[in-house]
Amino acid sequence: MHDNERRLSDYIDQLNAEKKPKDHEHLGADPELQKLFHTVRLVRNLREPAMPERDFPAKLVRAVTDQLVQTKQKKKKRAWMASIAGIAAMLALSLLIHFASLFDHPNIVKAMEKAFQDVNAYHGFLEIVETNAQGKTTTQAKLEIWADKHGRYYIQELEGSNKGLITVNNGQTKWQIRPSEKQVHRFPAFPDPYRFAFELGNEIKGIKQAISTNIIGEEKAANRPSWIVEVTPQGGEPYRIWIDKETRLPLQKQYAMQHGIQYKITYTKIEWNHAIPEKLLTYHVPKGFQEVNQNPEQIVTSIDEAKEAVGFLPDTVSQIPSGYVQDRIAIIPDKKLVKLYYRALDKEIVIIQGKAIGEWKLAPTAMVGKIHHQTAEIQSPVVEESGVIGAGGPYAGLTDLHSIRWRQNGFEYAVIGHASLGDLIAFTKELTNGAFEMPTHKDPFPFKPKVEVPVDLEREKNDQKNVDAGSSPWKLDPLFVAQVFVSLQMSPGGITGDYPIHYEDLRIIQNNGKEAIVEVDAHNTPIKRVYLKRLIRQDATGIWTVVGYDPAP
Amino acid sequence: MDTAIDQKNFHGRNVLSSFIVFISVNDPIGKKELRCMVHANEDSRVNWIEHLCLSTWEPVYRLIYFKVQNREEAEDITQETYVRAIPYLQKNHVPPDKQMAFLKTVALNIIRDRWRQHQRRGTTADLEAIAPKEAAFEDPAEWSVQRMTIEKALNELNEEQRTVIELRIIKGYSVAETAQIMNKKETTIRVMQHRALQSLTRILHDGMK
Repeated sequence: MHDNERRLSDYIDQLNAEKKPKDHEHLGADPELQKLFHTVRLVRNLREPAMPERDFPAKLVRAVTDQLVQTKQKKKKRAWMASIAGIAAMLALSLLIHFASLFDHPNIVKAMEKAFQDVNAYHGFLEIVETNAQGKTTTQAKLEIWADKHGRYYIQELEGSNKGLITVNNGQTKWQIRPSEKQVHRFPAFPDPYRFAFELGNEIKGIKQAISTNIIGEEKAANRPSWIVEVTPQGGEPYRIWIDKETRLPLQKQYAMQHGIQYKITYTKIEWNHAIPEKLLTYHVPKGFQEVNQNPEQIVTSIDEAKEAVGFLPDTVSQIPSGYVQDRIAIIPDKKLVKLYYRALDKEIVIIQGKAIGEWKLAPTAMVGKIHHQTAEIQSPVVEESGVIGAGGPYAGLTDLHSIRWRQNGFEYAVIGHASLGDLIAFTKELTNGAFEMPTHKDPFPFKPKVEVPVDLEREKNDQKNVDAGSSPWKLDPLFVAQVFVSLQMSPGGITGDYPIHYEDLRIIQNNGKEAIVEVDAHNTPIKRVYLKRLIRQDATGIWTVVGYDPAP
Repeated sequence: MDTAIDQKNFHGRNVLSSFIVFISVNDPIGKKELRCMVHANEDSRVNWIEHLCLSTWEPVYRLIYFKVQNREEAEDITQETYVRAIPYLQKNHVPPDKQMAFLKTVALNIIRDRWRQHQRRGTTADLEAIAPKEAAFEDPAEWSVQRMTIEKALNELNEEQRTVIELRIIKGYSVAETAQIMNKKETTIRVMQHRALQSLTRILHDGMK
C-alpha cells in the first residue's frame, strides 16, 4: 500500500510537471491503482489544458512534413531527384550561411546595441495586451512614451484604467499628474524603482545578459518585418522579442504564459528623435490641481551647506570612479541624511549617509561582504528596503538597481545605483579606503555541515518553476527556508499556530549568493546552524534549499 | 491497399510543376473503392500538410490532452496522429468536413494502442470508455454534465480530502507545499490523497451505475 501511495503521488507530480508519467509506459500496475490514475486525470480536466509553446504548430508541420515527405523521397530513386537534390543542397547551403549570421547570438545582440547607440531619444505608442488561457485578448493599456538615453521619460496613458495619467522623470524630479484626483504628486527622481515597461535600453541590456538568444522565426510586428528572438533570461521563463529588421531595435515582447495569463507589449508606432521636447520635461502644476510633495529631498549647493543642515560633515569619495561626474548634493532634513549623486551617460549612483540608528540588520536575501571585519549588505538587485535605503517596494526586485550598505564609526552608508555591481564596488572602495571585500568561498565558516540533508533535485526544479510563476516567494529568503526547516524538525507532525522558532531568532552569518549559513539563536532549538544552497539558479531569482545542518551542542 | 499511378500523366511533364495522377485505393472507413485525383506535386503536398496541421492541431491536441493530461505526451501523440492520418486522408480524398473526426479517431486509436502495448493485464475501464463523441467536446453540454459530475463527487468528500485534491491536482502544488499549507507531514499528505482518490473513484463509479 505504501508503494501505491508513493506511485500515486509521483504520478500526480509528473502530470503537474506536464511530463509523461512513467506509469503510462508500465501499465502492469495494480488495476486498483490504474483506476486512481484515471480519477486523477478526470479531476485534472477541471483545469484548462496546458497548451504547447507558441512555436508548436510550426514544429508540428516541420516534423510531420519531414517524416512523410522524406520517406516518400527515399522510395523514389529517380534520376531527376539527384539534380533537384543538388539544387536544394546549394540553396540550403546559401540559406544556412545567411541564417548562420542571424543565429549568432553576439551578432544580433551587438547589432541591437550598435543601433541603440545612435538613438538619442524616441517617441512611441505602446500597447499592452493580455491573453488568457482561452485565447481571449484584452487591451490593458495604451501609452504614449517619450524617452531618452539619459533615463528621462514622459509617459501618458491614453487608454486603460489610469487613462489620462502622466508620469515624468526629468532627472531632477519625478512627478505624476493624476486627473482623476486633480493632484500632482512629486517624488525623488532617483532611485526610481518603477519606470515603464519595454524601455528599449533595458530590454537590450536584458538580452545581452541572457543565457541564450535564438532567432526562431520571422513575422511582422507593428507592420514591420521582424525577427522573432527567443530569449532565455538568467532568471524566469523564456520570453520572445520581435526585432525590427530595418532598425535592429526591439518592437514587441511577449512573456511566457503564467497562471493562465500572457502579456504582449508592442510599440505600434515608434520614431527616433534628438531629444524629448523640453516642455514635456518641465515641471508644472495644471490649473485647478493640488500639489502633493512626496519628495523629501532638498538640493543644497555644497558639502558645507549639507553639514549645516544635518549636523555632520559627510564623507566623500577620494576619487570619483572613471566615467562619472558629481551631479548634485541633496539632504533629507527630517531624517538627517545626505545624498551625493553621481552620473555617467546612462547610469546613476547615489551615496546615502546618516547616523547609525537602531540595530544593524541585514536584508535576509542579501549577500554578505566585509568592511573592516564588519558585515556589509550587498543586494543585487535591491529587494528589501533596509536602513538608509529608501528604495524597496514591490518593484524593487524587478529593477536594475543594486546596493551596498554598511556601518562604520557610528554612521550608516549605502551606495545604490542603476549601474553594475562593479561600479558600486568602485565607489564603496573609494569611501572605505579599499577595505570593502566581496564574499568569497574562503569565508570564516567552512561550508561543511555535520549532518547532510538529502535533496530531491526534481522537486527543487518544480519548486523553482512555481517561484518563477509567483508562488511561494518565501523560498527566495534563506532565513524563512531555514525557519521552516528547523520548525519542522521540532514539530514533525506539522506546524499549527506560530513557528516554534521565530524569524528574529535566525541570523545570516554567511551568504555569497550561492551558499548561505544561518545561525539559530534560541534556547529550545535542536539545530545550531543551517546550511543552504541555491541549487537550481545562482542569482537573486534562485530558491534556497537546505543541504545540511549542525545540531545544537 | 493498392495504388496505381497512371504513368501517362507523368511522362513529358515538368517535374516541378503540379501534375495530376489517378490512384485507386480502398477506403478504410467506408470499405468502398475510390478513384480520385490527388495533386501529387511535392510543393502542393507540403502546403496541404501545412494547412491541415495549422487548421486542425488545436482541437486534436486538446482531445489528446484530455486523455493523457500532460503536455509532453500530448505533443508527441499529436505529431504521431498526423503522421499516421495524413497518408490515409490524402489517398482517400477525405472531404474537409470529415477530416477532423478522422484525426480524432486516429488520435484515440493511438492512445489506446500505446496503452494496450504497455499493459500486461488486459484493458482498464477508462480506456474502453473512450468515446470520440464524449471526448471531443463537440457538445459543450456533455462536457458540462461531466464537469458537474466530477464537481459533485468532489463535494461529497470530507473537507480535508477535498482540500488535498484541490491543492495537489487542481492547483498543482507539490506535496511539500501542500503539507506546508495544510500543516501536515508530507507522508500524511500522500496517505490522505490516496484515500481521497479512492473515495472519489468509488463515488464516481457509484454515480455511473
